[in-house]
Amino acid sequence: MRRAALPALVVAASLLVAACGSGESAITAGQDDPADTDADNDAVATDDADASTPDSTPDDAGDETDGTSPTDSGDETDGGDETTASTPDTTPTEVSLDEYPACPTDALDGADGPVEITYWHGMTADNEEALQFVTEQYNASQDRVVVELQNQGGYLEVIDKYYQSGASGRPDLVMFPEYGFQQAIDSETIVPVEACVRDAGFDTAVIQPSAIQAYSTAGVQWGMPFNVSNPILYYNELIFEAAGLDPDQPPTTFDELRAMSQQIVDSGAASYGIALDTNIDSGGGWFIEQWFANAGELFVDNGNGREALPTEVLFDQATGVEIVTFLRDMVADGLAVNVGDNAGGSDNFLKMADAADPAAMTIGTSAGLGTVINVLGSGLVEGLTPDDVGVGGLPGPSAEQTAIVGGAANYVVAGDDPEVVAAAWDFLTYLISPEVQSEWAVRTGYLPIVDQAIELEPLATTYANDPRFRVAYTQLANSPNDLAHAGPQIGPHRQVRDETAAALAAIYNGADIESTLAAAAATSNALLQQYIALNG
Amino acid sequence: MESRAFDRRRWRQLPVALGLLAPSAIILGAFIVYPIVKSVFLGTERCNASGTRCVEGGWDQYTDTFRSTEFQHALWVTAKFALITVPLGLALGIGLAVLAHKHLAGVSVFRAIFSSTVATSVAVASLMWLFLLQPSVGVLSNVGWIADAFPVVKQPGLLNDPDTALWSVGLSSVWANLGFTFIIITAGLQGIPDDVYEAAALDGAGGSRRFWAITLPLLGPSLLFVLIVLTSRAFQAYGEIDLLTEGGPRPDDSTTTITYLTYGRNSIMATDLGLQATTAVLLFVVLLGLSFLQLWSLGRRVHYGD
Repeated sequence: MRRAALPALVVAASLLVAACGSGESAITAGQDDPADTDADNDAVATDDADASTPDSTPDDAGDETDGTSPTDSGDETDGGDETTASTPDTTPTEVSLDEYPACPTDALDGADGPVEITYWHGMTADNEEALQFVTEQYNASQDRVVVELQNQGGYLEVIDKYYQSGASGRPDLVMFPEYGFQQAIDSETIVPVEACVRDAGFDTAVIQPSAIQAYSTAGVQWGMPFNVSNPILYYNELIFEAAGLDPDQPPTTFDELRAMSQQIVDSGAASYGIALDTNIDSGGGWFIEQWFANAGELFVDNGNGREALPTEVLFDQATGVEIVTFLRDMVADGLAVNVGDNAGGSDNFLKMADAADPAAMTIGTSAGLGTVINVLGSGLVEGLTPDDVGVGGLPGPSAEQTAIVGGAANYVVAGDDPEVVAAAWDFLTYLISPEVQSEWAVRTGYLPIVDQAIELEPLATTYANDPRFRVAYTQLANSPNDLAHAGPQIGPHRQVRDETAAALAAIYNGADIESTLAAAAATSNALLQQYIALNG
Repeated sequence: MESRAFDRRRWRQLPVALGLLAPSAIILGAFIVYPIVKSVFLGTERCNASGTRCVEGGWDQYTDTFRSTEFQHALWVTAKFALITVPLGLALGIGLAVLAHKHLAGVSVFRAIFSSTVATSVAVASLMWLFLLQPSVGVLSNVGWIADAFPVVKQPGLLNDPDTALWSVGLSSVWANLGFTFIIITAGLQGIPDDVYEAAALDGAGGSRRFWAITLPLLGPSLLFVLIVLTSRAFQAYGEIDLLTEGGPRPDDSTTTITYLTYGRNSIMATDLGLQATTAVLLFVVLLGLSFLQLWSLGRRVHYGD
């Protein structure tokens, strides 16, 4: 009796639960009439189309190519040219900032004694030490501002803690990754950096235009880019040599990637050409956005979300199908290995160190280059020294190697004290000075966002001695300044990435490409609509 | 008469009683009761990430969420996780405790070893298991005969295969909780008087008979306590899932439990404070019901001594 009771109850409970299932997603939970939501949300979306962007009325027909935008050529494949044409005017005086918190950059002059500010960041290990180094130098170099660093453990921890804090618990300066951009704006707690730039008369022309554009929307720059990275190709030069490939000529396009992988596998130099994954911050999400940019295509509508909150994802259209088909075929044909979700982000790299079934290449963030070299330098991987790892630009659909700005930006947090805002701005300008960017890039592997930094020591020597560190910089400098390369600006960015990642994982497992992408797009669109309803 | 006088005296003591209760009542109220009540109401709204803008969803948000595919799936995964970890954890804990209960020289060393996982944080335990299970450079995948006998260890890896991921995470969870189970059950064993065993031995009861007829029944209270705690822990497991699988492997989300659906970084509700509150409250209700069920069905059979 006793032994039977509990399992019986469990079975009864699970039957009850199973009978309860509605088969609907939780995204629409609490919305009384699901049938009406589309119409409602479209109305919200239309209201949301900002007055400052008169040409961005969302297209209710759901077809991007029929957009009402005057710059729209009506031809999907012209995405690149079209987006270049519609690049928002960067002349700052166009957009009024009256509705946003002000940035009195001269308030520091009136301060009695040093102003203390707290700065929440997500840098760990070597990167944290580098940040501590430049911050200590800043604190020692002047007596008006004292910056206190507070490490939150990672980007996601910064985001979680920031949004769960009340006004008194927030820092004065905060670091958010690129996928936290839209949310930062919608938190209504941020002083747009644009206000500081205008107030101080700061010349942003010294900064990489793509880095500025990545953190700007509708003509307003919100965050100041600081640590910028993009994905690069890591490859084992020993395997390249063994396969009869030139170790100085890594693949630059999808076609070359496939051909070289074929040669590596055929020659028996390695079990796989490349290790791919379905992590949302790499193969399942971030890289897909990068490949869209590389193809010159928008990832979401409304100018990649740069003109108004996006209402529709575009990854289920021709470009997405092409990219995913390429990836699927690589894995299906045994040229690539899918290492899965890659929790922690190291499984793809470790596949290169697999003694029995190694992969010759993988794709990872350029910010990981320092760590890769350190780990190999410690002798952890037998038979592979730091010099055996080659670095190339991200192979993609286009012949040109281009990328979206990744990494993070710093945001000035709105507060009552103008001196604190001014102090935060002062520290921001220090962080992007050529001297600091040069030091920072050498110590971390992030790329400098001011061109002048590459001529200064210690970066000049590093780039000359080890061109691998320069690859990500070159790749970003080559990228056109258009909306495709500004990258998608999405409120529920991680959730949308999770949809593409799950779709890709299903497709690697054999699911149909077009219908799987279409289903993921439908869920993503529901997420976008929900975001508009709550934040629009 | 007498009882009325007692009542009056008791009422006169009310202010003192309230004063003495106040510290814990205030702390409980501020940090437990108020947040719970607040969460219950937050769970009827849909909000942005900072909770500054909310749209009323109504009480049917609870039923909608409970019936949604995501929650149903998470509930099922959570139930499976509990069914894996609780019986296994209990059995191993009892086994080790009974083994270490013998009066042998040096047994205290084993007791220290068996209870050591209590001092291991979830993060450390999970990282250790990650190094064991990692498919390319992990320990298991590089032991030749294991990799040959179980190819899944190598490709795609125990944590990447939808059939083995939940078991692998469960195993690390069992291991991490073993110290706790071991200590409680050891304490329970020490509370059983030796003369009961001696009497049974005189009556001719063998080792296994003594275990089933004496040890287990007299361990009742400890077992019930451990059972409820282990079940709650299984339903609230988060750290090991976050570190080992991040709720994956995709696309089945084979280890996305209710807690991970609520707090997970990649969860569909990560930017919606209201929906997170909904699932958190639903988890609370499910756990409350389960604990009552366990107390009700097993509590009556537990022997608390005289």
